[in-house]
Amino acid sequence: MLLQHAAAGAAHPLSGTAAEWLWLLPVLPLAGFVVNGLLSLVPAYHAGPADPSATHGGDHAEGMHADQHPEDEHAEAGHPPILHRFASIASIVGPLVLALSFALAVSIFVAMLGAGEIHTPFIQRYFSWMPAGELNIEWAYQLDQLSIVMVLIITGVGTLIHVFSIGYMREDPGYPRYFAYLNLFVSFMLVLVLGASYPVMFIGWEGVGLCSYLLIGFWFSAKANADAGKKAFIVNRIGDFGFLVAIFLMYANLGALDFAGVAERSAQLAAGGTLVTAICLFLFLGCTGKSAQIPLYTWLPDAMAGPTPVSALIHAATMVTAGVYLVARSSFLFSLAPVASLTVALVGAVTALFAATIGLKQWDIKKVLAYSTVSQLGYMFIAVGVGAYVAGVFHLATHAFFKALLFLGSGSVIYVMHKAYHHTHRHDDAQDMRNMGGLRRHMPVTFVLMWVATLAIAGIPVFAGFFSKDEILGAAFARAHESTLADASLLGIPGSIVLYAVYAMGLIAALLTAIYMTRMMLYTFHGDNRTGEAERSQMSEAPWVMTGPLIVLAVLSAFGGWLNLPEFFTDVLPLGKTASLDHWLEPVVGEATLRITHGSAAHLSANTEYVLVGLAVAAAASGILIAFTMLKPAAQGTKEQAEVRGTDTGIERVLANKYYVDEAYDAAVVNPIVQVSRKLLWRGVDVGLIDGLFVNGSAWVARGLGLAGSWVQSGQVGTYAWAIVVGVLAVLGAFTFG
Amino acid sequence: MHFDLAMPGDLMAALLPELVVVGGAMVLLLWAVWRPESDVHQRNVAIGAVCVTLLAAAAVVYFMVSDVSSGPGVIAADRFRWAADLLFLLATLIAIALSSDFSKREGITTAESHVLILLATSGMMLLAAARDLIILFLGIELMSISVYVLAGLYRRSARASEAALKYFLLGAFSSGFLLYGIALIYGAAGSTNFADIGRVVSDRGFAAVPMLQIGLALLVVGFAFKVGAAPFHMWTPDVYEGAPTPYTAYMAAGVKAAAFAAFIRVWLEAFPGTIEFGPPYKVLWWIAVATMVIGNVVALAQKNIKRLLAYSSIAHAGYILVGVLVGTPLGASAFLFYLVAYTLATMGAFAVVIALEEAGERNLNVQDYAGLWRVRPWLAIAMAVFMLALLGFPIAGGMGFFAKWYILQAALDRSQYYLSVYLVLTSVVSAGYYLSVVMVMFMRPRVEGAPLPSRVPRATGIVIAATAVLLLVFGVFPGPVLRFARDNTITIAPPGATASPVSAPVVPAGNSH
Amino acid sequence: MRGLLTSLSYNSWILPALLILPLLGVAAIYLVPSARNADGNRQDDIDAPGAARWIALITFAAEFALSVGLWWSFEPGASGWQAVVDKGWITEWGARFTVGIDGISLFMVLLTTLIMPLSVLGSWTSVRSKVRGYYALLLVLTTGMIGVFVALDLLLFYVMWEVMLVPMYFIIGIWGGERRIYASLKFFIYTMVGSLLMLVAILYLWTATGSTTFNYDQILAAASFSESGITVFGTFVSASLLLFGAFFLAFAVKVPMFPFHTWLPDAHVEAPTAGSVILAAIMLKMGTYGFLRFAMPLFPDAAMTPWVRTTILVLAVIGIVYGALVAMVQPDFKKLIAYSSVSHLGFVMLGIFALTVQSVQGSLMVMINHGISTGALFLLVGMVYERRHTRMIDSYGGIARVMPMFAVFLTVVSLSSIGLPGTNGFIGEFLVLLGSFPTSPYLTVIAATGVIFAAAYLLWAIQRILFNALDKPENKRLPDLNRREVLVMGVLTVMIVWLGVYPAPVLRRMEASANRFVETVEQGAKVPPAPRPVSLEGR
Repeated sequence: MLLQHAAAGAAHPLSGTAAEWLWLLPVLPLAGFVVNGLLSLVPAYHAGPADPSATHGGDHAEGMHADQHPEDEHAEAGHPPILHRFASIASIVGPLVLALSFALAVSIFVAMLGAGEIHTPFIQRYFSWMPAGELNIEWAYQLDQLSIVMVLIITGVGTLIHVFSIGYMREDPGYPRYFAYLNLFVSFMLVLVLGASYPVMFIGWEGVGLCSYLLIGFWFSAKANADAGKKAFIVNRIGDFGFLVAIFLMYANLGALDFAGVAERSAQLAAGGTLVTAICLFLFLGCTGKSAQIPLYTWLPDAMAGPTPVSALIHAATMVTAGVYLVARSSFLFSLAPVASLTVALVGAVTALFAATIGLKQWDIKKVLAYSTVSQLGYMFIAVGVGAYVAGVFHLATHAFFKALLFLGSGSVIYVMHKAYHHTHRHDDAQDMRNMGGLRRHMPVTFVLMWVATLAIAGIPVFAGFFSKDEILGAAFARAHESTLADASLLGIPGSIVLYAVYAMGLIAALLTAIYMTRMMLYTFHGDNRTGEAERSQMSEAPWVMTGPLIVLAVLSAFGGWLNLPEFFTDVLPLGKTASLDHWLEPVVGEATLRITHGSAAHLSANTEYVLVGLAVAAAASGILIAFTMLKPAAQGTKEQAEVRGTDTGIERVLANKYYVDEAYDAAVVNPIVQVSRKLLWRGVDVGLIDGLFVNGSAWVARGLGLAGSWVQSGQVGTYAWAIVVGVLAVLGAFTFG
Repeated sequence: MHFDLAMPGDLMAALLPELVVVGGAMVLLLWAVWRPESDVHQRNVAIGAVCVTLLAAAAVVYFMVSDVSSGPGVIAADRFRWAADLLFLLATLIAIALSSDFSKREGITTAESHVLILLATSGMMLLAAARDLIILFLGIELMSISVYVLAGLYRRSARASEAALKYFLLGAFSSGFLLYGIALIYGAAGSTNFADIGRVVSDRGFAAVPMLQIGLALLVVGFAFKVGAAPFHMWTPDVYEGAPTPYTAYMAAGVKAAAFAAFIRVWLEAFPGTIEFGPPYKVLWWIAVATMVIGNVVALAQKNIKRLLAYSSIAHAGYILVGVLVGTPLGASAFLFYLVAYTLATMGAFAVVIALEEAGERNLNVQDYAGLWRVRPWLAIAMAVFMLALLGFPIAGGMGFFAKWYILQAALDRSQYYLSVYLVLTSVVSAGYYLSVVMVMFMRPRVEGAPLPSRVPRATGIVIAATAVLLLVFGVFPGPVLRFARDNTITIAPPGATASPVSAPVVPAGNSH
Repeated sequence: MRGLLTSLSYNSWILPALLILPLLGVAAIYLVPSARNADGNRQDDIDAPGAARWIALITFAAEFALSVGLWWSFEPGASGWQAVVDKGWITEWGARFTVGIDGISLFMVLLTTLIMPLSVLGSWTSVRSKVRGYYALLLVLTTGMIGVFVALDLLLFYVMWEVMLVPMYFIIGIWGGERRIYASLKFFIYTMVGSLLMLVAILYLWTATGSTTFNYDQILAAASFSESGITVFGTFVSASLLLFGAFFLAFAVKVPMFPFHTWLPDAHVEAPTAGSVILAAIMLKMGTYGFLRFAMPLFPDAAMTPWVRTTILVLAVIGIVYGALVAMVQPDFKKLIAYSSVSHLGFVMLGIFALTVQSVQGSLMVMINHGISTGALFLLVGMVYERRHTRMIDSYGGIARVMPMFAVFLTVVSLSSIGLPGTNGFIGEFLVLLGSFPTSPYLTVIAATGVIFAAAYLLWAIQRILFNALDKPENKRLPDLNRREVLVMGVLTVMIVWLGVYPAPVLRRMEASANRFVETVEQGAKVPPAPRPVSLEGR
C-alpha cells in the first residue's frame, strides 16, 4: 500500500504533505462508529423488557416526537429521562472524531494552498477492490480542489452538528446508537466525495443512503418513522438504479470507471451525442433520487421524521447535495451533453418553484424547512445545469451554512417546546407552528440567529445566500443569452427559451422563498405565544452546547458570501478577493465551463448585471414585505384563529396537501405493483398455473389413471381371459399386417 | 471339458445340476411323507432342501469354472445357463428360508412345500438350458405346475385357493398359445431345435414364412404371460396378493427370471438379428412400453403392499424386456446383472413383508407400516434400501441404480433413445409409490395403540440383512457382478445377429409410433 | 503456509479426506451408545441427545479446518485442475474415482465446509427428536455435496448428484413442518425428473465417446455432437441440443430457474432450519455449478444457439424480477427468502449466459454471497422461530427493542442481500450486471431493476419484524440472541464485510477458471467474443 503511494504520488506536488493522510479522513469517523456502535450494543445485550432503559427508551423516543405518541404508554411519559449508561463516553467520542478529521481536512487544505498551482488531482491508490478480467476497480481516493471544499463543509458543519446533538439527544436512551449512525454517515459521505472512481463513489452514495435510512427511522417504534426511512431508501434506490446504468454505459463504451480515465476518454465522444446524453441523463436520475428533485423528491419531507440534527446534517447540509457534487464532478460529461444539461436546469427550476409553493402552506416547522431545502437544491441544479458549476458549489456551501443554522435553530425551538410539553404531560405537537408564536421573548438568541439565516436564504444583500443565488440566476440568464445550451434544443423548444424560463422560475421561487421563510419566522417568534400558560413558564433558551454551534453557523451564513465575491460588488466596496472560489475550482470545472460558454468567460455587460441583481434583491425584499403585510395579523392571532386558518380551501388546500403527489404515486405505482404481484403472479402464476395445473395436476392425472387401471382389475378370471384374447389378436394382427 | 450332446451319457452329465435338484426333491418327498406332519419336520425338510440347493449350486459352479462347452443338441451347456441357474438357486434358497419361517407362523406343517419349490427350480433350470422348443415347454410346465400348487398350498386361506385356481386356469390358457406357437414353428421350420430354426430364419427370411410369424407371435404371447407383461399381466396382482408371501416372492423373482432366460435364448438363437425384421420387434417394443407404463401407473393406486410389489414386478418385467428385445449379447448380460439386483431387492422386500405380516396374513397395508422407523429402525432402513433399489437409486438404493444403468446402456447401444426415455420417465412415476412406502415408514407417526411388530424370525432376518448388505456393497463396487454378467452373456451369435449393432439405424424403429 | 502444506503433500489427500471424514462421523455417531428408553429403543431426543450433536459439530469443524488449507494450496494463476486424485473404480466401464478442483469448485467446497458447522451450531437446539439420525444424515449430505463439486468423472458426478437427494428428502420429510411430506416428495420428484434425463445424456456421451471413459476432460475433448441427431416431426434436432436440453432440465430445476422453481418455496419453508440453510446456501449452487462445469462447456454450440441463449437469458431476467415481486407479498418470512433466492439465482444465470469474464466472475461471487447471506437469513429466521414458533411476518413487530442483537444482524444480513456497496452482495450483482451489459444491454437494464425490488421486499419485511410498535404481548419477553447464536452470526457478518470490502483475493483465485470457461464456450460455439470495452490499460 505504501509502495503504491510512492508510485502514485511521486510526481505530485502534494506528495509528502499532509495530503498523504487522506485515507485517515473517513477512517476517523468510522472508528467513532465502531466505538459508539459497541457502546450501544453492550448494554443492549442484556436488554429486555425488564431493563427500564429499553421500555422507557422507545417511550421517550415517542416523547421526542409527540405527534406519534402511542396512547398505551401515557403512564410512563412522566418518568425522568434515563441516560444511557455510556452517554458520557459517546458524547466525547462522537464529536471528537469529527473534530479531528476536520482538523486534518484543514491541514490538508493548508497544504494545498501551500503547494501552489495544482492542475492534476492527487490520487491515492490503496488496494485493488474488484479485479475481474480487464476490469480493475481500485479503492482509490482523489483529492482536488472540489473534493477538499466538500470535505471541509462536511467535516466542519458536521462537527458543529455533532456538538449540537450532545445537547439535543443526550437524554435519549439510544444516544450511542445515534452517534454511531452519525459517525458512520460522515465516514460514508467522505468516501463519496473522495472516491476516485464512480464505483467507489457509489459506495459512499449508497452508504449515506443507508445511514439516512437508519437515522430517519431512529425512533423506529413509531410506524410512521420506520415508513419514512424505508421510503427514503427505496426512492433513493430508484435513483441508484440510474447511477448503475450510467456506470455500465461508461464501462461498456469508455472502458474506464475512474474520473481521470472517463474524463480522458470522454474526449473521444461526440459532443451532444446520444451516448453521452444517455449517460448524463442516467446519472441525473441518480441525482434526482439523492438530491430530492422531481420526480423523486417525495422522500425528503418525510425524512423529517428523524432527529432534527440529522435533518440539518444529512437532509440539508451534506447528503442531499451529493447529486450537485456528482454533476459538478462529471462536468466533463455534462458539458458535452447540452440536452442533458438543459434537462438538469429545467428540472432544477421546476423543483425550486414547485417546492417553494408547497412551503407556503406547511404548519410543521420542519416541513417548511424541508420543502425549502428541496427548493434550494433546485437552485443548485439550475447552476450545474447551465454549466455554472462553481455557482452550484458556491450555493451548496452557503446553503449548508444557513440551512444547517435554520434546522438547528428549529431544533432548539422544538427542544424547548417539547421540554415544556414533557414537563406538563401534554402531548400537543411540539413542531406545529400554530402552537408556537412569540418565542422571541423566551429565546432571543435563537431568534436573532434564525433571522440571520432567513435573510441569508431569502437573498438579502451581503448575506451569504444573496451572492450565491444571484450568481446562479445571473448565470442562467447569461447562458440563455449565449452558450452551447442556448443553441441546443430540448424537446423541440430552443435552449435559450428554456433557459429564460428557468431564470424566470428561479426569480419567482426567490420571491416565494422570502415569503414562506418570513411566514415561518412570524409564526414562530413573533406575535403572542400560543403554547399555553403552564408551558410558557418552562420555556427558555436552549443550553449553550446547542446555541454555540448556531452562532458559528450564523457567522458563516452572514459572511459566507466572501468565498466568491462578484466583480460588481468588489467594484463597489473592495473588501476581499474577487471570485476566489472560481479561481480555486478552475482546474476542476474550468474546462467544462468554457466548453459550454463557447470558450469565452462569458460575462454579461455591467448594466444587465446590475439590472439582474436589482431584480433579485427586489424579489427577496418584496417577499419579506408581502409576508409582513399579509401574514402579520394572522400570525399575531390566537391559537384558535391559527387553527381556523388551518382549514384552507381550493388552491390552498392543494398546497397544504403537497399537490397530493404521494397519494398519486401510491395509487399509480405502489399499489398496482403489490396487487399484481399478489393476485396475478403469486396466486395466479405460481400457485395456480405452475403448481396447480402442471405439478400437482400431472400427479393427479397419474393417480387417476392408476385408479382406473386397478378398477379394470376386476378379479374375474373371465375378464382376464378376454384381455388375453384381445392381446393375442393384437399381437397376431401386428405380426401379419405390421 | 466338452460334451457331445448326441451321446446320452454326455447329455446326462450336462444335465447334472437339474438331476441333482430333481433327485434331491424325490428323496425329500419320500422323507417328507414318511413322518407325520409337524413343524419340526417341516423345518428339517427345509434344511434338507437347502442342502440339495447348495449341492446343485456346487455342480453349477463346477461346470462354470471348468468352462464346459458342448456340441449342438437339445440343451445348452454355456455360461449363460450356469449364471442363470445360480440366480434361480439363489432365489430358491431365499424362498425356502422364508417359507419355513412363514409356515411356522401360519401353522402350515406340510413339508412338501419345499419339495415343490425344488421341483419348480428344476423346471427353471431346464428353461435356462433349453435349446429345443420341446425341452422349453417341458421346463415351463414343470415350473408352472409346481408353482400353481405352491400358490394354493395354504388351504385355510380362501384368497390363496382362489389365486391358485386363477393362476392355473389362465396359465393353462396361455400354455395353450405357447404350444400352438411351438407347433406352428415346427411346421414351418421342420425342427424344434433353435439352431435349425435359426438357420431357416436366416436362409429363407422370417417375413417370407407366415407360419413362422404366427408361431413366433404365439410364442411371444406365451412368454409375455409368464413374465407378466402387459396386456397379459392381469393375473399377476391377484395371484401375488393371494399366494402365501414366500411363494409370491419366489414367483416374482424366480419364475419371471426363468421365463426371461428362456425367452432370451429363443430370441437370440432361434430368431437371430431380431431387430432387423419389423413386426416382432415392434410388438415387443410396444409390449415393453405398455408394461412399464401400466405397471408403474397402476401401482400408484395400490394400498396393499403385496399388490404394490406385484405391480412393481410388472414394471420391472418391462425394464428387463427393454434389455431383452435389443437382442444383443450386451442386452443379455444387462439382463443377468439386472436379475441379480432385482432378485435381491424383490426378495428382500418380500422378506420384510413377511417379517411384518401378522399370523393369518394380516397387517399387509402400506399404512400399517406407519412410524415403523420409530420402533424397528433397522427393518425400516432395510425396506427403504429395497424400495430405493427397485427405484434404481444410486448408493442408497445399492446396485439397483447400476442395473437400470446397464439396461439403458444396452438400449442406447442400439440407439433406442425413445425406449430409454420412456424407461426413465416411468421410473420417475415409480418414485411415486416406492417413496410413499418409505414416507409412511419414516414420516408418518406411529398409529395410536398399534402393537409392536413381533420379533423377526431368524431365517427371515438373515435374508433381510444379507440381501440389503449385498445390494449396498455391490452398489458401491459393482465390479464383481459386472464381470459375472459380462462374462456369462450368451456367446452364440448366429450370422444374422452379428450384422446388427454397427449397422443399426440412428432412427429407432419405434419412432414412427 | 503453502510450503507447510506441500511438505504434508496436502493436495494428494485433501479431497478424498473431505469426502470420507463425514462418513467417519456417521460411524462415530452410531458407535457411541446412547440411553435406551422404556420400550428398549434408543432414546435420542433432545432430552438425551447423546454425543451425536457434538460429534457432528466436531466433524464439521475438522472438515472446515482441513479444507481451509485449499485457500493457500491453490495456485491462483493456474486454470487447470488442482489437488487431483485419480483412482480406479468401475474399471469395466472405465468409470474412475477422479476428483479435483479449479477456481470455480474451490469456493463451492469452501462454502460448503464453512456453512455446515455454522448451520449445525446455529440450529443447535432446533431438532428435538431422533437427533442421531438427523446429524448422521447431515454428514452424509455433506459428502454428497462436496462430491458433486469435486467430481471430475461424469458417473461419479451423477452418483453424488443423486446421493444428496436422499438425506435432504429425509431431513425435510422427518424433521420438517406441517406440510413436510408434500414438500419432501415434491422436492424429490422435481429433482429426479430432471436428473434422470441427464442420466440418459451422460450414457449417450459415454457410448458416443467409445464406451471407455467418463473422464470429464476426455469427454470435453471429444468431438461435438452436433452432427448426429434425430428427426422429430420432420425437423432435425442435433444431438448436442437434446443433450444440452437434458442437462439443462436437471440443472434448471436445481437452480431453480423460473418456471421450475415451485419446489423451492415448499422445501425451504418446511425444512428444519439447517435444512433450509443448506438448501439455499449450497444445494442451489449445484444447478449453476452444473451449468458452469458441464452443460455449457460440453455443449457450447447448443447453449449458444441464439434462440436457446436468448430464452435462457430471458428466463433468468424473469426470475430476477418475478422472484422479487412475489417475494414482496409473502406473509411467511421463510417463503419470502425462498423467493428472493429465485431472484438472486436469476442474477447468476444471467451472468453465466452473458459469457464475459466479469459476468462469470460476478456469477461466482453471487453464488458465494447468496450462500452466506441467505444462509444467514435462514439461520436468523430459525433462531427467532425457536423463540416464537411462527414464521408469519405479521406476528412480529418492534422486536428490535427486545432483541437488539438480532435486529443488528438481521439488518446487516438483509443489507448484504439487498446488495449494499461495502457488503458482499454488491460485488457479485455489480459484476454480473457490468459484465452482462455489453452482451445484452436491455435485459441487463431490466435485471438492474431487481436491486430496487430487493430493497422493497426486504426492508418492508424487516420493518414489519424489527420496527414499528412492539404491540404483541407474546413478543414483549423474547430473549435476545445468546452467545452461541451471536458467534455464528458474527462469523457470517465478518464474511459479509470482508467479501464486500476486499474481495480481490477471491476474485483473483477464480479469474483463471472463469477465463477458461468463457474461452472454452466461445471457441466451442464459434461465437464472436463479447464486445470488450475499448482500450483498457490496467484501470
